[in-house]
Amino acid sequence: MVAERPIVEGMYLSGRRSRARCKGLIMTNSPAITLKNVHLTLGEGAGRVHILKGIDLDIEKGTSVGLVGPSGSGKSTLLMVMAGLERADEGSVEVAGSQLGPLSEDQLARFRGRNVGIIFQSFHLVPNMTALENVAVPLELAGDSSAFEKAKAELEAVGLGHRMHHYPAQMSGGEQQRVAVARALVVEPQILIADEPTGNLDESTGAQIVDLMFSAQRDRKTTLVLVTHDPSLAEKCDRMIRMRSGEVEEDHAGSAHLPEEVSA
Amino acid sequence: MSSFVSGSTHSGNQTFKLASRFALRELRGGLKGFYIFIACIALGVAAIAGVTSVSRALTEGIAEEGQAILGGDLSFSVIHRQVEPEQVAFLETLGDVSRIATLRAMSRRTDTGDQALVELKAVDNAYPLYGNLDLASGQSLDEALASKDGIWGAVADLALLARLDVKVGDQLALGRTTVRITDVIEGEPDKLAGGMDFGPRLMISDAVIPDTGLVQPGSLVRWHYRVRMSPAPDVQDLESVVERAKAAEPEAGWRVRSRANASPGLQRSIDRFAQFLTLVGLTALVVGGVGVANAVRSYLETKREVIASFKCLGSTGGFVFKIYLVQMLIIALIGIFIGLVLGAMIPFAAGAALSSVLPVQLAASIYPAELGLGLLYGLLTALAFALWPLGRAHDVPPTALFRDIVTGGSKLPRKRYLFATAVTVLVLVSIAIFLSHDKDLAVVYIGATAGAFVLLVAVARLIMFAAKRLPSVRSTELRLAIANIHRPGALTPSVVLSLGLGLSLLVALALIDGNLRRELSATISDKAPSFFFVDIQSHERDAFEALLMQEAPDAELQSVPMLRGRIISLKGIPSDEFEPAQEGSEWVLRGDRGITYEKTLPENSELAEGTWWPEDYAGNPLVSFDLESATELGLTIGDKITVNVLGREITAEIANLRDIEWQSFGINFVMVFSPNTFAGAPHANLMTLGWAKEVPTETELALLKTVSNAFPTVTSVRVKDAISQVNELVAQLAWAIRGASSITLIASVLVLAGALAAGHRSRIYDAVILKTIGATRPRLILAYGLEYAILGLVTAVFALVAGGIAAWYVITQIMGGSFVLMPVTAAGAALVALILTVGFGLIGTWRILGEKPAPVLRNL
Repeated sequence: MVAERPIVEGMYLSGRRSRARCKGLIMTNSPAITLKNVHLTLGEGAGRVHILKGIDLDIEKGTSVGLVGPSGSGKSTLLMVMAGLERADEGSVEVAGSQLGPLSEDQLARFRGRNVGIIFQSFHLVPNMTALENVAVPLELAGDSSAFEKAKAELEAVGLGHRMHHYPAQMSGGEQQRVAVARALVVEPQILIADEPTGNLDESTGAQIVDLMFSAQRDRKTTLVLVTHDPSLAEKCDRMIRMRSGEVEEDHAGSAHLPEEVSA
Repeated sequence: MSSFVSGSTHSGNQTFKLASRFALRELRGGLKGFYIFIACIALGVAAIAGVTSVSRALTEGIAEEGQAILGGDLSFSVIHRQVEPEQVAFLETLGDVSRIATLRAMSRRTDTGDQALVELKAVDNAYPLYGNLDLASGQSLDEALASKDGIWGAVADLALLARLDVKVGDQLALGRTTVRITDVIEGEPDKLAGGMDFGPRLMISDAVIPDTGLVQPGSLVRWHYRVRMSPAPDVQDLESVVERAKAAEPEAGWRVRSRANASPGLQRSIDRFAQFLTLVGLTALVVGGVGVANAVRSYLETKREVIASFKCLGSTGGFVFKIYLVQMLIIALIGIFIGLVLGAMIPFAAGAALSSVLPVQLAASIYPAELGLGLLYGLLTALAFALWPLGRAHDVPPTALFRDIVTGGSKLPRKRYLFATAVTVLVLVSIAIFLSHDKDLAVVYIGATAGAFVLLVAVARLIMFAAKRLPSVRSTELRLAIANIHRPGALTPSVVLSLGLGLSLLVALALIDGNLRRELSATISDKAPSFFFVDIQSHERDAFEALLMQEAPDAELQSVPMLRGRIISLKGIPSDEFEPAQEGSEWVLRGDRGITYEKTLPENSELAEGTWWPEDYAGNPLVSFDLESATELGLTIGDKITVNVLGREITAEIANLRDIEWQSFGINFVMVFSPNTFAGAPHANLMTLGWAKEVPTETELALLKTVSNAFPTVTSVRVKDAISQVNELVAQLAWAIRGASSITLIASVLVLAGALAAGHRSRIYDAVILKTIGATRPRLILAYGLEYAILGLVTAVFALVAGGIAAWYVITQIMGGSFVLMPVTAAGAALVALILTVGFGLIGTWRILGEKPAPVLRNL
C-alpha cells in the first residue's frame, strides 16, 4: 500500500491502527474529510444567500483544524456540511470513508451517531436527563448494551465522576460543556466537531475544555474540526482555515507542532 | 460504505422500548403545560363514560326490577274486554295470576264539583305479585282499599290531593260511585308498565268497577293479567313460555310481555337519549381535541432544541416521533384515567341525586365495557389531534441548534402522519356511527360537526386574511388589536375553533328547544280543539252532544266512533316478523292503535291515492291508511291488513291512502275502516270541542265541570293540560341536553384558557416593550379588549349562523315543524362569546400589565 501523501501515511502509522475499533469501518488511507466543489445556498426567494461557493478541502485523519473567519463567512455552515447536518447543493462530501450525498436523512442520523461527535457553543444537553443519561444517549441510540458503563467511564475521564446524577440545570456552564464533550467522545467518533466550544465560558473554564478536546484528539487520534472566533484557540490547531464570503481565503498550518513523523 | 449506516441494530420492539425510556426521562420535568390537555381529555372521557354508564345502570335497573316493573314474570294485556275464561285457565297453569284494569277517568269533589283526570287502576287481592306498594301511613293495601260503612277506600298520588285540594278521609266521586281517599301512594312498583301518564294515579279495588259504571262495551279499559311463576324462570325459559302462550291461545289477541323486556318503551327512550348524549360528549371531546393539538404543538415548540440534539446524536426522525408519541400517550392516559374515574362515579352520584326523579332505581356499578368505550374514544381523539403536530417533530432539522431558522409554520407533516391522522379519524367516526342506534342521525350529527370544524378553520383563516388586508386605521389601539389578530402565532385559530364549536352546539340546541316549545304552545293550540271527550257510549252520544251545544253554542264539535285494536299481520306476515321498508313507522305496529270507521273522507286529511268507498258500501272490509306510515311500512293499495279488535280478527284491504295533517291535534287515525266492518260491534265515541277564538280558562273549566257532573263516566282531556304535560317533559329533557352540551362549552372554555395562556409569554414581551416606549395601561387594556371582542363577536356570528342552520335542519327537515329564529337566544349566544373571550382575555392581560419592565428586559 503506497500512500499518496506522506502526511497521510504518517498519520496512519502513528494511529497504531486505532481506527480498527470503529465498527464496520472500511479502512482506507484516504483523508478523514474530503470536500470537492461544495456549493450551498440557503433561504428562499429574495432571502436566498449563496453561502458556500465551491469549497475544495481535504482534512487528514487525526489532525486538528481550526475554522476561522468573520460572522457570515460560512464557517458554521461548512461545519454542518461536514457533520452531515446540512446537504450540499452541489459537489461531493466524503466523511470517514462515506459519501454523504446519497445517504437518506435517517442514514445520515445513524452515520452521525457512530462517526461524528459534536460540541456546541451552548452545550445543548437534554434538560430532563442526568449527566450520565445525556452521555449515554448516543450509545443507546446505536443499540450499545453497555451504554451506561461506557458513559460512566467517559464522565470520569472528564472529571465529572461525582456529578453523574445531576441534571444540567444543577451544573455550572463549564461542567455542562464537559458533559457535552464526554457525550461527543463516548461513541469513539472518527470526527469531533466543535462550534465555538468556549464561546459561552470564561477564560479558565474554556481552557479546561480546550485541553479536554485536544488531549482526546491526540490520545484517540480523532480528527478535530472546530469553529472559533478566538485566535489563540485557532493557533493551537495543526491547521488553520480562514473563510471569507463562502470561500477558503487562507489555509495554513497552525503553530502547534505536527506529529514528528510528519514534520520530519 | 453502507455497512454502518444500513439498518439499525434495533428491532421494532427494542426501538419502542428505547423511545419509551427516553420519553419517561423527558416527562421527569413534570406535566406543566399539559394540564389543559389532561383536563380536556378527562372532561370528554368523563362525559362519555358517565353517560353510557348511567344508561347502562338504568337498563340494568330495569332488568333487575323487571318483575316489579312488569308486575309479574309475564304480563298479558288486552283492551276493551277481559280474556275468555279458558284463557284465564291457561294462565293459571303457568303460575299465580293477578288481574288489574287501567283506564282514564274523571274524579270529582263531591262538594265543589272540581274535577281532575286520573289514571285509574283497579287491582285484585293478589296485587302486587312482585315489589311493594308503599302507602304513607304504612297500612296494607287491602286495608286501605276495603269498604267501610258502605264506601270503598281508594289510594291516590299526592298530586291528585293537591290538584283537587282534598285530604285523606275526604270523598271523591268516581263515575257513578263515590270513594273515600284512605291513603297516599308513596311507591308503586309497576308504575312504569303503564306508559305515558295524563294524570295522577287513583287506585281502587276491582270490586268497585261495576259500581263506577266506567267499564262499558267499547270503553278504553286495559285488562292486564300478570303471572308469577314458581320458581321464577330464567330469561331463556321465559322466551319459550311466551312462545308457548302465543301458540296455545292464538286467538286471544293479547299483548304478551316478559320481565326480560319489562318496559320496552322506556328502554328505547333511554337508548336514544343515551346515544344523543354520547354524541354530545363526543363533541366535547372533539372540542377538547383542539386543546390537545395546541398543547402538543406548543410543547414540541419548546422541545425543538432537544429534538435537534437527538438528531445530532444519531436519532432518526421516526425515532423522535416515537419518543414524543409515547409521551403524548402517557399524558393522554393520565387524562383518560381521571376521566374514567369521574365517569365511573357518575352513576353513583346520579343514583343518589336523581332517586326522586328517576322512574327506576339505578343499578349503580362500575361497568367495564362502558368505561372501555370512554378509553377508546379518549385515546382515538387524542391521537387524531396529536399525530399531526407530532409528525412535524419528525422534520425538525438538527441545524436548529446552530441557527434560528424561521421556517413556515404551516408546513405539512410527512404523508405517513397525514395518513395515520386520517385513519384515526376514520376509526373514530366509524365507531361512533357503528355504536349508534339511529345511524342516520349519527351520520348527520358527525357530518355537521366535521363541517362546522372545517368551516371554523376557514373562518379563522379568513379573519386573519381580512385583518392583514385591512387598510391602516388611525386608532393605535385598534391597529394593535388588528395586528394581534393576524400576526404569526395569533390566538385567532384557537379561539375561533374552540369557542365556535361549543357555541354553535349551544345555539343549535337552544333554538331547537325554543322552537319545539313554541310549536307546542302556540301553533298547535290555535288549531287544536280545547277538549277531547273519550268513552262516550253510543246510547248517550246524542244527549252528550246536546249538552255541549247548549253549554258552548259557538264551539265546533266533531264526533267519531272509536275503538282500539292491534295490527296482527300485514300482507299475511305477522306484525312481529314484518320488516318495514323504511324506518320511522315501527310505532304503528307496536301496541294498540285507535281505530275508527267513516262513511266519508275525514277532515284534516286529503286523499292521496286510491278512491274513497261509497257511503252505502257493503262489500269486504276496506281500510284507508295514512300515506306516510304506509310508505314507510312498504304498504300499497290492495295489501291486506289484519287487526284484532275486541278479540276478533278482522282482515281488510287497503282501499286508499290519506295525507294527514297530524299537528292539527284534531281527530286523526292511521287506519279508517269502511263502516260495514264494525257493524254491530259495541264501541264508544270520541268527541272534540273547540272554539274558533280562544276562550278564557274559566269558560273551559266551567264546561268541564258541567259535563263531568252530567256524564260522570265520560273522560274529558283538556288539551291545554295535556300540552303542559308534554311541555314539562320537553323541559326536563331540555335540561338534560343543556347539561350535556354545557360540558362542550366547558371544554371550549378550557381550550380558550389554554390558548390564552400559551400566548402569555409573547404578551408579556409585547406589553413590556409597549410600556417601555410609553403606552399606558388603559391603552393596552383597550387594545387587548378590542382584540378579544372582535374575535368573540366573529365567533358568535358564526355560531349563530351554523347553530341556526343546524336547528333549522332538525326542526324543519327531521321533525317537520316550522322554524323561527329567536333574537333572545341569538343575543344570549353573542353575549356568552363576548363575556368568555373578553373576560378570560382581560383576566390574563391584567396580570401581564402588572409586569415590571426591567426584569423582563434583562432576560430578553
